[in-house]
Amino acid sequence: MDQDILTTLKLLMIGESNVGKSSILLRFTEDEFYENMQSTVGMDYKTKQVTIDGNTVKLAIWDTAGQERFRTLTPSYYRDGQGAILMYDVTDRNTFIKLETWLNELNTYCNKTDIVKMVVGNKIDLPNREVSTEEGLQFARRHQTLYIESSAKTADGVKCCFEELVQKIIQTPGLWDTHSLRLPGNGNTGGARQRIGKRGLQLTDDYQPQEAYSSCYCSLV
Amino acid sequence: MDDVLDEVVSTEDLMKFERTYHEQLQTGNVTQKVQFEYAWCLVRSKYPADIRKGIILLEDLYNNHGDNERRDCLYYLAIGNARLKEFSKALSYVRSFLQIEPGNQQVLHLETLITKKMEKDSLVGIAMASGVIIGIASILGLGIAMARKS
Repeated sequence: MDQDILTTLKLLMIGESNVGKSSILLRFTEDEFYENMQSTVGMDYKTKQVTIDGNTVKLAIWDTAGQERFRTLTPSYYRDGQGAILMYDVTDRNTFIKLETWLNELNTYCNKTDIVKMVVGNKIDLPNREVSTEEGLQFARRHQTLYIESSAKTADGVKCCFEELVQKIIQTPGLWDTHSLRLPGNGNTGGARQRIGKRGLQLTDDYQPQEAYSSCYCSLV
Repeated sequence: MDDVLDEVVSTEDLMKFERTYHEQLQTGNVTQKVQFEYAWCLVRSKYPADIRKGIILLEDLYNNHGDNERRDCLYYLAIGNARLKEFSKALSYVRSFLQIEPGNQQVLHLETLITKKMEKDSLVGIAMASGVIIGIASILGLGIAMARKS
């Protein structure tokens, strides 16, 4: 089984307390949802194997506590992160405003400058919305991140969020694959590179519309 | 790394939080925050001596400080003890945590993890014990056989 894994990617989940980071992760890894999730102690860690465009990757996902008292501890986990999910609660404007701080923190402590970021507006199933899609998109555009809206409760956008993020990471040369920095034409570039080529073909030739994602907003900005 | 029990603190982190702790220790006034941060590094160290030290600091915090941090202490006391293979102790901390917050997914998951490790560990123990028994038995058998021969 292990030979088939292209690479292991380190993903981070950050954002204010109670925006739903652990709920989204639990929905993604176990397809479960609990109405009253308690706040995360320190950090939690989960792994999941996914296959995207024919590439199987193992995701090592670090779910950090959003509470203030862990603020000095969590940056330790940012090191070597290849993808980051910055989450806010669409029904709580304050969590959206604080996103700026989280982004700054990520940029300060993460050593990989080209880490792929995904802004996620969660809890879209709730009626009392305070942050519009337009505002979320604007923020994402300004900071050159991906953007998606989700609901852990209804599972809307959850799978899409991780898949988009992984797809973008795989498309970023040098972020995960040391081979991709080598000169082309070298016959010894290894399996990973060849598989990239294969995946590229699949993207253009075998693209299948994925009706399962019809209800979520995916946007590459 | 497969799970939270495998996670090892980086040397820089350990040194950084250790320095802050010792600085405060010299002034005679260690804040709860600094003590917790140092303990949080220690219980994730690869050295059992560090983990033990971390456990002592966490126990002190648990006994002398506020409710909010108590759940944090219980969680990392469970992690520290599980890493020392003190599984039943670790599980008792997990259960105290679940008494305060039944249904906490993170802690329920940790409970499953510790139980699995404990079972695996006892299987290894049984395998080793039976190996020793077989060894002793064969030496005895050989001894008896040789005694009979002579």
